[in-house]
Amino acid sequence: MKIEEMSAAALKEAVLNKELSCTDIVKAYFERIDKVESKVDAYLTLCREEAFKQAEEIDEKISKGIPVGLLAGIPIAVKDNICTDGVRTSCASKMLGDFIPPYDATVVKKLKEEDAIIIGKTNMDEFAMGSSTENSAFKKTKNPWDLSRVPGGSSGGSAAAVGSLTASLALGSDTGGSIRQPASFCGVVGLKPTYGLVSRFGLVAFSSSLDQIGPFSKTVEDSALLLQAIQGNDDLDSTSFKGDIKTDYLSSIKDGVKGMKVALPTEFFQEGLNSEIREAVLNAAELLKEMGAEIYEVSIPITNEGLSAYYMISSSEASSNLARYDGIRYGYKAPDYENIDDLMKKSRTEGFGPEVIRRIMLGTFALSSGYYDAYYNRAQKLRKKMKEEFKKVFGEFDLILSPVTPDLPFKIGEHSEDPLSMYLGDIYTVNINLAGLPAMSMPIGISKNNLPIGLQIIGPEFGEDRIFKAAYALEKKINLDYLRRDI
Amino acid sequence: MKIDKSTVDYIAKLAKLSLTDEKSEKMAEEFEAILTHFQSLNNADLEDVKIDYKDNIKSVFRKDETSVFEDKEKLFQNVKSLEGSSIKVPKIIE
Repeated sequence: MKIEEMSAAALKEAVLNKELSCTDIVKAYFERIDKVESKVDAYLTLCREEAFKQAEEIDEKISKGIPVGLLAGIPIAVKDNICTDGVRTSCASKMLGDFIPPYDATVVKKLKEEDAIIIGKTNMDEFAMGSSTENSAFKKTKNPWDLSRVPGGSSGGSAAAVGSLTASLALGSDTGGSIRQPASFCGVVGLKPTYGLVSRFGLVAFSSSLDQIGPFSKTVEDSALLLQAIQGNDDLDSTSFKGDIKTDYLSSIKDGVKGMKVALPTEFFQEGLNSEIREAVLNAAELLKEMGAEIYEVSIPITNEGLSAYYMISSSEASSNLARYDGIRYGYKAPDYENIDDLMKKSRTEGFGPEVIRRIMLGTFALSSGYYDAYYNRAQKLRKKMKEEFKKVFGEFDLILSPVTPDLPFKIGEHSEDPLSMYLGDIYTVNINLAGLPAMSMPIGISKNNLPIGLQIIGPEFGEDRIFKAAYALEKKINLDYLRRDI
Repeated sequence: MKIDKSTVDYIAKLAKLSLTDEKSEKMAEEFEAILTHFQSLNNADLEDVKIDYKDNIKSVFRKDETSVFEDKEKLFQNVKSLEGSSIKVPKIIE
């Protein structure tokens, strides 16, 4: 097995047993990058020199018998909306095209403390707004399964990097599905943790009450490993959870699903869902049943309204969060202007792409007087009710299963002219962000035209361990080979 | 609901964005389609839902302790028009 095909867990073991050096690993990954990255275009910035330097440092630690971290020697890619000290962080926008953060995000600090090796910054939809990575101001990332199709978004680069074997693990962010949908499209595992589990300090804010950073990986076990490394309370993020959290997912991950009550919401299987995806999800439920879980049908009617509430809330929060970009302290500054107002207007209009402008406008509208009650306030009420409904469901059931997307990965350019049709693809993922719950997308099948199909496993608040158990069991049962060796 | 160009222009002013007439009209159409679809927000029965921000949420405070950010130059590394440690801006008060 080639180095880039090994799981992160296997790489770590090889490093600790001195079968592989970190330098061997980084070398293999950059050879792979040199071979396929020009076809996939997952990265905006590659950190070749720094990665080799870090590898050398960790190799020295190991040779001296100094204990190393949880992610020792593992090459990891970081989405370009997560601040990396001294390394350009652009959010795939002209607005931050040359922005060099003066600090590391808390998750990046944790990666470094655990001796992970940061390989580069990945492409995304501008400011995390989009579902295809086509909204990047710099390049379009391709799906490793079919280079004429999108990798999904907004964390398309991170998903494609893991999917094309140019990173062992990756970090993404999920506001309305931006980890889960690209994970599904690229045939990798992607997890959106419970809101508050992972610090948002250093994550460029899009929608502060919805954003969460989460792991991309090839396997379920690797997902748990990375989550363990990045989770935890952070004084620098006042929305980060202060209560007790599970610190060890790996020890219980093989427990199995016997006796687990799993619900399938009828609203998620309506008309409009691709039949192959439906079959794959129902098949997954059958497999869980074979392994001892109990499958039930449940109805959660409020989920039908989730998409509207999501776009109202996220656009409103975005309009507020993006007000800081004025060309003065950092970011794009318009070259010609007459006065301060003109400077700000021109910097913003020239620096932001069309989807970002659209969402700022939508959000400003929803918050403006006369419309606030009808749109923003109403959406928040719906959100509160949504949270309560899900809480009721989890009072009875252990997990919820659903599709991740209504359709298979689409062709580049297919939805880019019609924003609404792009938004409709988020129908199964947004409700989860509104409710603050954890959810994973894992590969569950391959379509007739050789495209990956993802399954969404939703857990109760801080129920990531339950998700890992079910996902691990399914992964072993299905035992499909998802590695895209030839691109 | 009907969104016309003048509404879009007003919103653009609030958001400090400037749209060309063509883009303004296109956006008005897109908004209409999006907001029409989002009328479904009215379907749910939300009569009994009260948003009381004291629900289950406790404000978290940090100790008011100062610490030194060592590398002050770094803080200004992204400013386009720096003079010393001052940021140069156009005249604000006429």
